Amino acid sequence: MFRNFAFTLSATLVAACLTAPRLCAETGEQLYSSQCARCHGKSGEGSKKYAKPLIGDRSVAQLAEQIQKTMPENDPGSLTKDESLKIAQHCFDAFYSAAARERTNPVRIELARLTIPQYKNALADIVGHFRNGNTRWDDKHGLKGEYFKSRNHNQRVFDRIDPVVKFDFQTEAPGAKDFDPKAKQFDAKEFSIRWSGSVLIPETGEYTFIIKSDQSVRLWVNDSRQALADGYVKSGSDNEYKGTLFLLGGRSYPIRVDFSKALQGVKDKNPKPKPAFVELLWQPPQGVVEPIPERNLSPQFASDVYVDTTKFPPDDRSYGWERGTTVSKAWDQATTDGALDAANFISVRIEELAKTRLNDERKMEKLKVFLRQFAKLAFRKPLTDDVERLYIDGPIQSSADNLQAAAKRSVLLILKSPRFLYREPATDNSAYAIAARLAFSLWDSIPNQELHDLAANGKLKTTDEIRKQAEKMLADSRAKARLRGFLHHWLKTDHARDAVKDPQRFPGFDSAIVSDLRTSLDLFLDEIVWSEKSDFRQLLLSDEMFMNGRLAKYYGANLPEDASFQKIAFEKGRRTGVLTHPFILSTFAYTSETSPIHRGVFIARGLLGVGLKPPAEAFTPLAPSLHPTLTTRERVELQTKGVNCQSCHNVINPVGFTLEHFDAIGRFREQDNKKPINSAGTYTTRAGELKTFNGTTDIAKYIATSEDAHLAFSEQMFHHLIQQSIRAYGADTGEKLRETFAQSGYHVRQLAVEIATKAALNEQARITKHEIRKENLPVGK
Amino acid sequence: MYQTRRDFVRNLGLSAASIPFVLNLPSLGFANQTKRKQRLVVMFTPNGVCPWNFWPEQTGSDFTLPKSVVSLEPFKKQTLFLHGVADKIRGDGDGHMRGIGCLLTGIELFPGNIQGGSDTPAGWAKGLSIDQEIKNFLQKDPAGKTRFGSLEFGVMVPDRADTWTRMIYAGPNQPIAPIDDPYQMFKKLYGRTTDNKILASVLDDLNADLKKVAGAVSAEDRKLLEEHATFVREMELELKSAKQHGEIGHKVPDLEPGVREDNDNIPKISKMQIEMMVNGFANDFNRVASLQFTNSVGMARMKWLGITEGHHELSHEPNSNEKAQEKITKIDTWFCEQLAYLCKRLAETPEPGGPGSLLDNTTIVWTNELGQGNSHTHNNTPFLLVGGGLNFKMGRSLKYKQVPHNRLLMSMAHSFGHHVKSFGNPNYCGDGPLNDLT
Repeated sequence: MFRNFAFTLSATLVAACLTAPRLCAETGEQLYSSQCARCHGKSGEGSKKYAKPLIGDRSVAQLAEQIQKTMPENDPGSLTKDESLKIAQHCFDAFYSAAARERTNPVRIELARLTIPQYKNALADIVGHFRNGNTRWDDKHGLKGEYFKSRNHNQRVFDRIDPVVKFDFQTEAPGAKDFDPKAKQFDAKEFSIRWSGSVLIPETGEYTFIIKSDQSVRLWVNDSRQALADGYVKSGSDNEYKGTLFLLGGRSYPIRVDFSKALQGVKDKNPKPKPAFVELLWQPPQGVVEPIPERNLSPQFASDVYVDTTKFPPDDRSYGWERGTTVSKAWDQATTDGALDAANFISVRIEELAKTRLNDERKMEKLKVFLRQFAKLAFRKPLTDDVERLYIDGPIQSSADNLQAAAKRSVLLILKSPRFLYREPATDNSAYAIAARLAFSLWDSIPNQELHDLAANGKLKTTDEIRKQAEKMLADSRAKARLRGFLHHWLKTDHARDAVKDPQRFPGFDSAIVSDLRTSLDLFLDEIVWSEKSDFRQLLLSDEMFMNGRLAKYYGANLPEDASFQKIAFEKGRRTGVLTHPFILSTFAYTSETSPIHRGVFIARGLLGVGLKPPAEAFTPLAPSLHPTLTTRERVELQTKGVNCQSCHNVINPVGFTLEHFDAIGRFREQDNKKPINSAGTYTTRAGELKTFNGTTDIAKYIATSEDAHLAFSEQMFHHLIQQSIRAYGADTGEKLRETFAQSGYHVRQLAVEIATKAALNEQARITKHEIRKENLPVGK
Repeated sequence: MYQTRRDFVRNLGLSAASIPFVLNLPSLGFANQTKRKQRLVVMFTPNGVCPWNFWPEQTGSDFTLPKSVVSLEPFKKQTLFLHGVADKIRGDGDGHMRGIGCLLTGIELFPGNIQGGSDTPAGWAKGLSIDQEIKNFLQKDPAGKTRFGSLEFGVMVPDRADTWTRMIYAGPNQPIAPIDDPYQMFKKLYGRTTDNKILASVLDDLNADLKKVAGAVSAEDRKLLEEHATFVREMELELKSAKQHGEIGHKVPDLEPGVREDNDNIPKISKMQIEMMVNGFANDFNRVASLQFTNSVGMARMKWLGITEGHHELSHEPNSNEKAQEKITKIDTWFCEQLAYLCKRLAETPEPGGPGSLLDNTTIVWTNELGQGNSHTHNNTPFLLVGGGLNFKMGRSLKYKQVPHNRLLMSMAHSFGHHVKSFGNPNYCGDGPLNDLT
């Protein structure tokens, strides 16, 4: 974030420079050197007293306003507007702006290792390749239910799709309560049911799966051999069985429940009528225990997914997005542990994966075919003879005809190789490198066989070819998770926050409500992004919200108490997209009061892309009890009125105040501290225009159509997907993306395609512009 | 029957000067002052036995080994027959279920949904098993604490978790599955050691390729790869030093690769598991172990003995069916040979850091879920003990009048210095541990 902490002039700017006589005719450069350079350095590089360089993302107009209002530090306002503008223009052109920095200090595309998600996704996809892994997602939901007459899952009566597994049969046969005529085919005292299909995991993390029943029941998730929860034996009063798995987001995992109403073991010749129930639940990360919802279940078959559970040191996020530009001993150890786990997993299953047997005469040949494909996927390109000798022939030769040992040694070597662990260097211009860039940006993983084939056949050369493929790649559950991950990054909801509220002030605002709110936001984001228009503006303007019965009851909407999530118009005219979503509003608030500062930073920095630095020191918000007559707005104004504070808070506060109509849990309110709410606010655009807002709907309308917001959204998406500084791709890359974004009608998915395409091509274009024009870009551009 | 350390070394043909190096023992000179390591093995075989070929006719130390157990001849002086011990636990579950489920727990099964061939349905046992009780006791003591505490071995245990397949319990409703895949057990015991070996063998190639890849990127990017290379070199050094310290002492057993889990491989799997159990003790991974052959109602078909019928169906044949009883005797004999093999391997292995052999400090308790298959009786439940782990007076044949087996379970705990007041259902513990064992 350092480059964003940009422009704030510090207390060290001394009075001496101000008293020097000035002439109106001075240029910006002269003004800067007489007024500013002493503290900020000749070229904005900073000085001993004030070390931070003057760099950032504000426009000339915003910068000029800043200087005018806050500089020189001990006598703000002593510069004329014209002088401030001249200084701003000079700073902007000489060193402050992205373009200037690009000129003076070009940023390059850095070699990066795989990030943790990329490492884990790559392993899942390499192994998945040999097990017919599937990452498509379709519209079918629920699980396939097979209903059997016998207790042993045979003598089938019917199949159907069950949206969720939550049944209380009491002493009756399945279907009896719905007067299904098929119910008559069952003996209510003995029957069995198998539910199967897949479970779609929305985000990476630990999931606890729970099966409850008073009958014999077993649950398998992502391992068709070993039950995750085994209640086959009912013993004593136990009727709940569970197991926890770490799973990767954006993937479907096989799930199966075997339920049998009867005594097990020796068949009961004279069964008595008994009640029976069964319920399948989960607890997702950051969520509460709930029945696995229909939208996360599919009757479609899925193969087991190999999930690496190695603990890695966290990736660098100091720039605001994950990057793999550092290595450490702990990281190296983790790659060893991960490689050994995978090598062991594969060697144990080598017969299945390499389609051979231990006593097969041609087993080593078949192993070689397997390893060649394995290495090709891991290294993202076909193997040269040298590479094949080192990674495949060598291990086979030193394993003396032992299939498992050879597989283990080779896989270990491949997964420890720099060819696997590091991304394509910027100098690699091949079609395989393009394929890899596409896959990493849109899937956070390695290219699949289809991309390999396209690269091999020379079908990934032109912009159009690449764009077409990128569009196609979006229809993959990993892409869906990737875009959702970006939206959380954009909304700053990607880190688990403590959403605990004052129970006196907000009774009933518990973890279940927080979990529902999160789900509600996710459904909202998905709905808009994956609709045909995929319209960015709708994210800010939509007056609809997803609610279930519990949320509706809590927030006062009209839904039955047991209603599942659905889209409803809620407080029309007041609510407007993500800005008024209670999850966002409660995230950016204190436990009992709102926080216009957090909300303001969220809007200014996050949505509008204004560079803000963190406060010089940490402040505790003024306690409401010390100022019993003030509103929150008044307290914030009081606390931030100092000149030091105003350099940023003159931007933050006026936008943050526009959300004051919503309390700390996002409920609408007319009053704060018994005074009517004042939600008026202002913002000076990059173009220098002063915008005034009368409350939330006003600012939402502005943000939806603001070039500043469009640019911020484009740049942030670029950083999230590409994980390199956008400046390394040319100073105007952001602006160009914004233009295409506008031309597409602010189509979010199209923007992702554009970014992926641009980065896949531009990386090489920068290195060897010449060659690319000649060979790869006959059309377009 | 202790072999002294000196005897042992002499037998190995080593000079006194090399003793400390061989045994790698700082406490060599004080071995008699430290508490000796005690070990317990429970070996389970199913479906009862043919009693007249199993129990010695005589009582006392002068007895003849009957037909089924002649293979114990070399260990006769370390053997103890306990005839007349009865599993008296009743309640839910059929004879086989209670047989295996109450055998080591000494307590009833919960009511449940598993229906046997008779009686009421039942679930899991209501308490932990004696081996786990002893393991927990040892793990609390720094002198008795080991890496695993206990290891549960199995041979062809069916791939289903129910009352008939589980003997060991960590607590009420907490059955522990035996590991019947030798390769899985190997991984658990030696995974790290073998992994490190393979890892060390690929590091040279890896370093070479790192250099090659680093040569192909820009100077600025190369820094990252060079940093990476230093970690690889460090790992190489660490692996080397680990090899020099300690890991040499970790003998790793050689397992034949690719032995599938199927009926005909039972003899092979049995040997492999015994080999690993002995190795585990030699490395002091654990002091408590169990070895479960198949399961209660086990269906092994011992074709390698020329028997094509399943073990369980044979066990139902009446005493008058001589052919069947002969086959059952053959089966019992084969199981006893497994026990004898275990004894032999333990006897051949010197006690690390102490006098004598592993067998001198290990007692194997061979038991069964039934006294006899055709009556499903829990009277005269087989308890045949070999080895010196429990401080019992061995080389005897004792006959009781159906004492509750809870008292024997208590005796086992007491031998470890764990003076439990009762174990399992206290109603069967009134008279305390059996008083004539030590």
